[in-house]
Formats: sequence, C-alpha cells, structure tokens
Amino acid sequence: MNVKAQHIDDVLVLIIEDRDANLVKSGPFKELVFNEINEGARKIVISFEHVDYLDSSFLGSLVAILKNLLPLEGKLVLVKLNDDIQNLFEMTRLDKIFNLKNSLETALKEF
Amino acid sequence: MNRTILLVDDDIFQLKLFEKLLSSNGYNCKIALSVAEAEEILHSEKPDLIISDYEMPDKNGFDFRRRLLERDMFKNIPFLFLTSVNDTASVQQGLDLKAIDYIAKNTPAKHVLSKIDNLLQAVREHYERSLGEIKGVAEKLNLRNIPRQAPVLKSFEISYFNQTFQNQPGGDFIDFIRVSDRYTFVVLGDVMGKKWGAWFFSFSFLSYIRSAIRLCVYDENYSLSEIMNKLNRVVYADELLSDIFSTLSLVLLDDQDGIVSYAGAGDLPLLKFDKEKESLQHYQSQGILLGFTDDGSYDEMTIQMEDGEELYLVSDGMMDFEAGGKTRSDIELLKEKLYTLKKNGESLESIKDKLFDKHVSQVDDCSIIIIKKL
Repeated sequence: MNVKAQHIDDVLVLIIEDRDANLVKSGPFKELVFNEINEGARKIVISFEHVDYLDSSFLGSLVAILKNLLPLEGKLVLVKLNDDIQNLFEMTRLDKIFNLKNSLETALKEF
Repeated sequence: MNRTILLVDDDIFQLKLFEKLLSSNGYNCKIALSVAEAEEILHSEKPDLIISDYEMPDKNGFDFRRRLLERDMFKNIPFLFLTSVNDTASVQQGLDLKAIDYIAKNTPAKHVLSKIDNLLQAVREHYERSLGEIKGVAEKLNLRNIPRQAPVLKSFEISYFNQTFQNQPGGDFIDFIRVSDRYTFVVLGDVMGKKWGAWFFSFSFLSYIRSAIRLCVYDENYSLSEIMNKLNRVVYADELLSDIFSTLSLVLLDDQDGIVSYAGAGDLPLLKFDKEKESLQHYQSQGILLGFTDDGSYDEMTIQMEDGEELYLVSDGMMDFEAGGKTRSDIELLKEKLYTLKKNGESLESIKDKLFDKHVSQVDDCSIIIIKKL
C-alpha cells in the first residue's frame, strides 16, 4: 500500500496514494496506523485526495482505527473525500462518527 | 477474469519481451526493474504469479524470494525463477526456496507460456477443490448466512437474491425470522470486509440478531429501535467483535394489518417506488453501524405501502461498479436503473435479474431483498 506520511507539528498526516482503497490494502493500512498509535500518535489526519474508491473492508479499518483512538483521547480527521465517498459516508451515517474536512488546512485547525 | 503476473528483471528488454508475450496471451502484467519496485507493487496489488530473474543489483532473486517467504501475505503467491543462471547448485537453491519452477531464459517462449498456463491452471484447480471442500463442510453443518427460501405470507411477497464476490462466501447476510403467524422480521446485514473473514463473523452477528429478536418478542416487545439498541449493546460488549462492524436493515412485517416498520444501523436507505407519484422514495434511518459505540441512536419508522408497491433493501455491493478500470460507488446510478425498470413496468423477477445483469463488473457481495405488498 502506498502511503505518504508526514508530521506537521504533533499531527501525523497520512496521504493514501492509491486510487482503490480495498481489501488488499485495508489490513496493512490498519497495521500501519495501529503501530503509529502504539508509538504515541494521537492526532491523525488521513487524506483521500488520490482515492477514487473505498470498499467496506477499508471502511471497516477506518472505523477500527477511530474506535481505538477515541479511548486514548486521540483525534482522527479525514480530508479530501471525493463526492462518491462523501456521499457514502453521509448515506450510512458515518459522517456522524468521523470528522470530515475539505482541506488539510481546515483539518489542522481541529487540533 | 484475467490473471495478473508480476515480472521482475533488471533487464528492461527482457521485461518488455515477456510482458508482450504474456499480455498477448490474456494475462495482465505488472513489471518491476528491481526487488524494491516489486515490493512496492505488492503492497498495492496481489498478483496470481510472480516471475523473477536471479541476477539483479542490490537484492537478487533469492533475496527477494526469502523476503516474500517471511511475510504471511506474500509467501503463498506462486513463484517462478526465470533466469540465465542455470548451474545445478543455483537451480537447487531456487527450488529449495519453494519456487514452483526454475526456468532457463533460453527456453523457447512457447514452452515458457505453456508452463505458466499449466501452473496457473493447477493452482486454480487446487483452489476450487479446497473451496468445494470448505463449502461442503459448511453445507453439512447447515452453516448458511443466506436462507434457502423466503417465507410465504398473506399480505406480502418476499423475493431476494445474493451474489457472492469471486465465488467465495462473503459478509452479506439475510434472514427471515417468522416469530408468529402475524409477525415476520426481515434481516439484511453486511459485515465490513470481504470473503471468508467477513463470512465467518456474519454468523456471530446473525446469532445475536436472532437472540435479540426472540428475547424481545418473548416480552411482547416489537419495538425495532429497542431490539436494535439491545443488539448493539451486546455486539459492542463482545471483545471478539471489537474490530468487526456490521450494517443492518431490520424490517418488521405485520402480516395481519399489512404494516411495515423499519430500523437501520449504518445501512443504505431503503427504496420504494411510489405508485401514485411515480417516483422512487427513500427511507433513511439515523442509526450508526453495530458495535462502534454502546449508544447507536437507533430510531424506527413506519413505511406506508399501497397494494402492489415494492420495497427494496440493498447491500452496498449493489451500488459499486467497475468500468474502464475505475471502481466507484454510486447509489444514484442504482436508483436510476431501478426507476427505469419500474417505469417500464418490469416484473419483480425481471427487476431482480436486470439489476444484477447490468453490473459492468461486480466488486463486492451483492444482495437485494424485494418486499411486495399484495
């Protein structure tokens, strides 16, 4: 899975560089973020600017990441979801549990 | 479905030659000029076969093979060496690294192609045999997350269809729980994930759903929001399901009075073709997916249905499409198709068939339940 990681102050920004975020990538991605959380990451932004499609396996990984982060008083912000994915989040009420932002700049203001 | 082969060689001429040979014989090819490039490709796509050269700068083919064997995700991908280093010791070393074959680069292209065809055919047959055995065992144990038939009711006709992804059981599950002559619960759920992992966990969710419904009904409680809240709390408390989530559409049919009630958990909206307005209505619940939090804010609603109207419950696979190498989720496209079929007066069976036929390419389990008011 192609993920670009960068730190902006104490915020970990992960940019998914694949077009399809699917079953093959969901496991390694969850493992990657869980490792970061174990090493102390509490403020995380995930950018979907390159992602066209998100399947239910990857969605499940995102929910698991959020569920693990919340008891640690961590925060997760998802940015730059395309219209289809944004629509999927709204239709399935995932927009009620995830913090969704249009840009990295607005995401960083959440912390 | 085209098989994907990952070719690894530092000689771009050789790579292009084999890519052309394999592509013209129906294979998808990914090419890498180094082990590092190959590993990058493997992180985004799992090929059906890896063919690697031995002599490469930095890491050679044996190093590559050893690294793959250390990773559970990659160690079972069939692996071939295709190289000009053909001394007995090297061939033996390659085969000792669990490579399926060690082919000399000067082997005629036709022979190489036949070896690859035979190998992938053998892998496919082995896979089909194993799958058949598992399916056989599941059948014997009566493990099914899709029922054999729908109940026959007086006021409603239920029709349903499920298409698994790549012929493997998946996370979509359907159930019809007839608790009395009057009441029947209709269940459509989708465990997040695909294939066997999601299939396995669907039984945990199904058991909890059946229990929650039965326990509430014993207390004369037919409130869907209360059933959903109790169910969610049990799922949330189950440590085995702590990272596993499921959507759920739960519909209660009152066969005596013809009333339809609905509650949802992170599911797609229910759709109904309104006969009078000739438009597609959608019904969206407020509940979030099962197991995320102990308070899922579940609500319920009554859906008014006139005689002859149909209500559609769909899983997310029904709105995922692949066209031109691009995958996307588009519920509007699904609604458009459904609307056109209804406007054209298509029968219930025909709607079910055409919704599946129209998929350019399926990328997930697909399930639909159609409830027709009689």
